[in-house]
Amino acid sequence: MTNIVNELTNKFSNHHDFFIEEELIDNTIVYVIGFTTLVDVTKSKLYIQQIAASSISIKAFFTNISNELNVPDEQLIKAILTGSIIILSKDATRNAVVEAFPQKLGSDISESKNESPVQASIDAFGNHLDINVGMIRKRLNTERLCLDSYEVGQLNKRKIYMLYVKGRASPELINKVEQQLTTVQRDIETLDDLNNQFGHRRWSPVSHFSATELPIQAVDALKNNRIVFFLDQFPFALIYPNLVGDMVSSANDRNLTFALTVMLRALRIIGILATLLLPALYVALVSVNPELFKTDLALFVIQSREGVPLSAFLETIVMVILVDLILEGVVRLPKSVGPAVTMVGGIILGQSMVEAELVSNLLIITITAVVIASSAVVGMQNSLYLRLLKYPILLLASVFGILGICTGFVLTIIYLASLTSNEIPYLTFRLGQKGDET
Amino acid sequence: MKIKRLCLLLIPVLLLAGCWDIKDINKRFFPLIVAISKENDEAYTITLQMPIPQNVNEASRTVTVKANSIGSALEQVQLDAEDVIDYSQTQLIFIQSNLAKEQQAMQKLIHFVMNAKEIPSRALLAITDENVEDLLKDINQKLGIQTSSIYDYFNKGYDWAPEIFSIPIWKAYQSLFFHTQDLAIPVASAGKDTVLTFEGLDVFRKGEKMERISTAESLLLNMVQNKNEGGTVESLESADIHIINSSVKKHATMKNKRPVLSVDLHLTMRILEKKQDISDKHIQQQLQQRLEQRFHTLLQRLQEAHTDIFGFGQQFRQFIPYKELKNWRTTYYPNLQVDFNVSTTITQ
Repeated sequence: MTNIVNELTNKFSNHHDFFIEEELIDNTIVYVIGFTTLVDVTKSKLYIQQIAASSISIKAFFTNISNELNVPDEQLIKAILTGSIIILSKDATRNAVVEAFPQKLGSDISESKNESPVQASIDAFGNHLDINVGMIRKRLNTERLCLDSYEVGQLNKRKIYMLYVKGRASPELINKVEQQLTTVQRDIETLDDLNNQFGHRRWSPVSHFSATELPIQAVDALKNNRIVFFLDQFPFALIYPNLVGDMVSSANDRNLTFALTVMLRALRIIGILATLLLPALYVALVSVNPELFKTDLALFVIQSREGVPLSAFLETIVMVILVDLILEGVVRLPKSVGPAVTMVGGIILGQSMVEAELVSNLLIITITAVVIASSAVVGMQNSLYLRLLKYPILLLASVFGILGICTGFVLTIIYLASLTSNEIPYLTFRLGQKGDET
Repeated sequence: MKIKRLCLLLIPVLLLAGCWDIKDINKRFFPLIVAISKENDEAYTITLQMPIPQNVNEASRTVTVKANSIGSALEQVQLDAEDVIDYSQTQLIFIQSNLAKEQQAMQKLIHFVMNAKEIPSRALLAITDENVEDLLKDINQKLGIQTSSIYDYFNKGYDWAPEIFSIPIWKAYQSLFFHTQDLAIPVASAGKDTVLTFEGLDVFRKGEKMERISTAESLLLNMVQNKNEGGTVESLESADIHIINSSVKKHATMKNKRPVLSVDLHLTMRILEKKQDISDKHIQQQLQQRLEQRFHTLLQRLQEAHTDIFGFGQQFRQFIPYKELKNWRTTYYPNLQVDFNVSTTITQ
């Protein structure tokens, strides 16, 4: 083995998709080197063999196969990372960079279904692992992007890829994750199984991962010292650890100007607060602490609640659950039926409930605001868990009023602060850079 | 498992802690005005004015009950009412002057409303010479749905007349214990076309009614206490002026055990209309003279009555030993010399 080959194998030892193969051409051994995630190896080898067959000597083979001959070592590395294969003669006197058959990274790529990016590329991760990694490599072509692969499970071996940027992600964290992944004792069927593998969170609404469909989101996470997982047959990148900031900021925001980014994030924070507090505030003000209203407002509220037979807590809980049911129903239904449910749920139900004086106008406004606000956050799962967290606060508010809201809110924050993924608290805002740059 | 079962058992306790006895906002009555009077037969009459939002024609109604004490009267109202009576929105407490002139009753009243947890201590106090029941009925007819107008009437803000003085319950309660400041409560009656007419201030010393001062003097009180935001119009012989803003500075000194206070009042004003060939300086002098004269007459009256509603005594707390403070009204205040200087600026 020559120096350059040794150097390459050392350099890419962390890359399981890196390959070196030997080929015999005109009685000379050459090495074919590249990434399996970027290059279609079989087709490329066939191509090389065809060229070799039509070349009379090894020298002719090199001149036939590429225009880029005898390039310096650094350029060789760059070529490998950008999806070419390189051919090295065994004595290291000749090398060539070949634009071989690339993996079909484009064919499976479709638009994102769960996230709708504004002013950004709309391609989303697909089911194939290698394609997903390829999409990341395309956007982050550095040699420091490392990939570890694991096969986990008892019956069904499931492939998991772990991506991180060397020198950015903390080596300690990587070691711990590696241990957790190699000691998997059961089948990893769902995200929840994987979640439990990373620490006990059976009853917690907050996941260890934030799932995203968008490559730029994953690349942004990698650059910000985090780890990205890919599961085969799962079209999401799993960003680990999930931090509270993922709820308010997406990498896509920064395509807009700074002022707009700040505005968007402020709106999302307002959305979070509104989702958690508005229904509780309604109940507390209407039934427990009406003295906090200004007189005019109190009279207005009395008027809007006139004749409503349900108590404030009951009507709120009924409406909140109904709305959550509608949301769930719309998600599960086919796209052609969804709008009908939306109309029935929104217009007919809301309107008739008010006309039948089952709930007050003010509550309908509150609930609508809450639904809209809960959708403002980034990520479907975040929106869901916020919707869950509002219930305890609502319950406390109905008993203890404003005091209950404060207590509930503080308890919620205490709970969220108690969550950690491998000793990284959920309420961390930014992961520091661990490890040296080189 | 035991802990889980215990938790399940405890959940109803949590709910029972408040849920079952809470009444929704539309199941409560909110009396906005509480009027209290005392008949000669020692019985209290309480009249409440409550808005009734469900019926457009009848915007509010009044309820009157009689009982031997304020507490039992309020209880009586609750007994008769179909819903909970919630005093948390009460904005004004009217006291009929036949009650106000009895020191004992007045002290008891202030103690009661302050200690009654249901009545917010920010509610304002007012005195009326009329029969409170008639007054509230009268207000009721004019008020319509604009129920917050009473509150707006007494509170600073847009279009607030600067003569109007307002005092919340907690301040009235505080003044019962003050050695160096006395209490003034606004006097109002039902207006002919408007909701209320402001008639001046009643001055109390420890719950004892001492004096009644006029609206013009009430303005002076607001100015000296630096509460004035301007907006009043003064008519002098030769001109009409509009006072836009006022500010005040006080400086206290003790000279041979005699308190001396200099009060510098600065007014910014605009001349609305004036007679010809009268200089601005002349108008300024006229205004200054008038205000100074008005102040000194008022002060003299108050000094004779030994009541210090300006709270001048507050300025001298640092000069007088604490034990002596309770003699402020009798020993020091009558000798108080106030140099009252008015300066004015004219803007266009």
